[in-house]
Amino acid sequence: MTRPLSDLIIEFVAGLRAAGVRISVAESLDAMRAIGVAGLALPRMREALRAALIKDEADSPIFDTLFASYFRGPPHDSDPNPKSRGMRAGVIGGQGGSSAAAPERPASKSAAEKGVQTDPTEQDEPEERSTAPGRASDSGDPGDSSENPVEAGSPEGATAVAGRGFSPEHHDDRDHHGPDAALANLRRIESVPFASYSPLEYDLARDALAILRRRWQTRLGRRLRRARRGRLDFRRTIRASLQHGGLPLERHFRARRPRHLDLVVLADISGSVHYASLLILELLAGAAREFRRMRGFVFIDRLAAADFERGHLVMTPHLDMYARSDFGRVFGEIASAHPDILNRATVMVILGVGRNNKRPPRTDILQTIASRCRAVVWLNPEPPERWGTGDSAIESYRRVVDFLLPCGSLRELQASLVNII
Amino acid sequence: MEITAEFVSAGLKRARYITNERVETAIFLALALEQPLLIEGPAGAGKTEVAKVLAAMLETQLVRLQCYEGLDEARALYEWNYQKQLLRLQAGEHQGQRWEELSHDIFSRDYLLERPLLKAILAPRKVVLLIDEIDKADEEFEAFLLEALAEFQVSVPELGTLRAAERPVVVLTSNRARELSEALRRRCLHLFIDFPGIEQERKIIELKVPDLPERIAAEAARLVNALRKLDLKKAPSIAETLDWTRALVRLGVRELDTAAVRSTIGVLLKHEDDRNRAEGKLATLIGRSR
Repeated sequence: MTRPLSDLIIEFVAGLRAAGVRISVAESLDAMRAIGVAGLALPRMREALRAALIKDEADSPIFDTLFASYFRGPPHDSDPNPKSRGMRAGVIGGQGGSSAAAPERPASKSAAEKGVQTDPTEQDEPEERSTAPGRASDSGDPGDSSENPVEAGSPEGATAVAGRGFSPEHHDDRDHHGPDAALANLRRIESVPFASYSPLEYDLARDALAILRRRWQTRLGRRLRRARRGRLDFRRTIRASLQHGGLPLERHFRARRPRHLDLVVLADISGSVHYASLLILELLAGAAREFRRMRGFVFIDRLAAADFERGHLVMTPHLDMYARSDFGRVFGEIASAHPDILNRATVMVILGVGRNNKRPPRTDILQTIASRCRAVVWLNPEPPERWGTGDSAIESYRRVVDFLLPCGSLRELQASLVNII
Repeated sequence: MEITAEFVSAGLKRARYITNERVETAIFLALALEQPLLIEGPAGAGKTEVAKVLAAMLETQLVRLQCYEGLDEARALYEWNYQKQLLRLQAGEHQGQRWEELSHDIFSRDYLLERPLLKAILAPRKVVLLIDEIDKADEEFEAFLLEALAEFQVSVPELGTLRAAERPVVVLTSNRARELSEALRRRCLHLFIDFPGIEQERKIIELKVPDLPERIAAEAARLVNALRKLDLKKAPSIAETLDWTRALVRLGVRELDTAAVRSTIGVLLKHEDDRNRAEGKLATLIGRSR
């Protein structure tokens, strides 16, 4: 094999790009330079490439898999024991099954559900971390094992793998990838439309929701708290300057008046949008502390108060799940039964496709509601090209709400939420 | 001093920082290629520590810029010392100085408040610049930072362009409270630091808390590791593990049993919910970590 290494690296980068990792030209140049200084000893070269190319830990498993397939050849790798890798992988693959049996761990559960696809990528990682010593045998650089403090302990590490098999260390280290697995999971699930969800996908999406919830919480918090320091308070500044003989040494600023917002969520949970509504309700519920008050309602043809208890939706009274959506009637109910919660501080979020089954849409009531609220946001899980077709009343609702945004998948939902705040 | 991988590895050892090939290589590259190093990972996994260790390794100063919401150029780069300028003007007035002299005077380096970025740029020798929790800063600030990190020079209108004599070693840390921009990621080397595995954590405990019996150190490492698996609000960090083991030493704990753990769990878990959740499973966890 006489191909220059640079070609191989270019191919490797192309492979990563093909697998969905975003790598710029500048980064691939960085990778070349990194190898230039780090040398070709395999573990170090791998970490050098990783540092230069992989900017998101969620891509790390892809990197590991591809790296193993590109750079295993003998020229730079004096691995004396080429089978060791497969063998260890086997051991850990077995644990994948055992961790799936542990019910209290959503991350590992989801990883197990993803099954074959992720297992080979994930097993590479923990193996490397827990038994970094084991790696020493892979490396062509004998200096490594004595210098690296972790690797110094290699004998015990190696016995842990070989001898105990299902040792708790391995079990545990595998789970270290909880957050990364969740991120990878999110990537996969976020562009799947809600409409095509099966219960399995719903579970995956719920696992991924934790990340979304954190992002959304932070964004919202930042948005609501922004600019605490407002304009210069001229009078206070002058008054304070009297102490310094008229020199305005201390500047005072007028604090913005705190904004209190009440969030009212109104979600259609009839069959067609069931999953979308549950996910969105859960997401919004996560940000409850940013609002002064938060009220959740679910409806099909009637209204019911909604609450989340330990991740499960609790509604009172219970709704007839086989009924057909009736938006008009529900708007009437909320306007007459809960007039107190609709005020200038209220932001109302409505989830639903606006298909009213030919019943009166009662746009007039929604208009009254909108005039009393600070804002009404309608999130529609249907693709925009279908809005207004058939029995959809969304076009007439569009005229009275402040925002009408698509939220067909987790990705669209994220984009829409960012738009609102 | 020449930067070699061996130098980095020995330096980390000297600074008593236990780590792995990945961290070593990333640090080495950051030094060798003079590129900023972006470190991500859960809170308390030792991200900030990397910068401190780097400073110790290079025997230089650590300049720290702690990011927060609303951080702006004035807080990060420089600000004119407004109060001092005012006083100078007043004094000058009494002495009957003319505006030309005065203005020349009050816009000199004496009246410049150096904030961390400028301090790192103007330092006479190579320093380590730690930009901590960059994810807390606003996106606008990130854009500004990109520019500063690319050139390491700053234009102060009244003073002209100030250039770094030695490019600082830049370490950025992020907890992923928000996604950083692609542009920033592109320009940095990336390193993800996770919580250590059991073996590594045991070594850390043994190194930093040498008074703890070896057997308890191993059990403690396993227990903390198991605690991190629970769905906690905040997983115990390495620093908390060390505090906890120190507490165990102070209390003269000889056996890591349920009573001992229960009485000290407050050092590890700082949320009431987390404590309740962990206490329910404590007996199982301890049994498993034996």
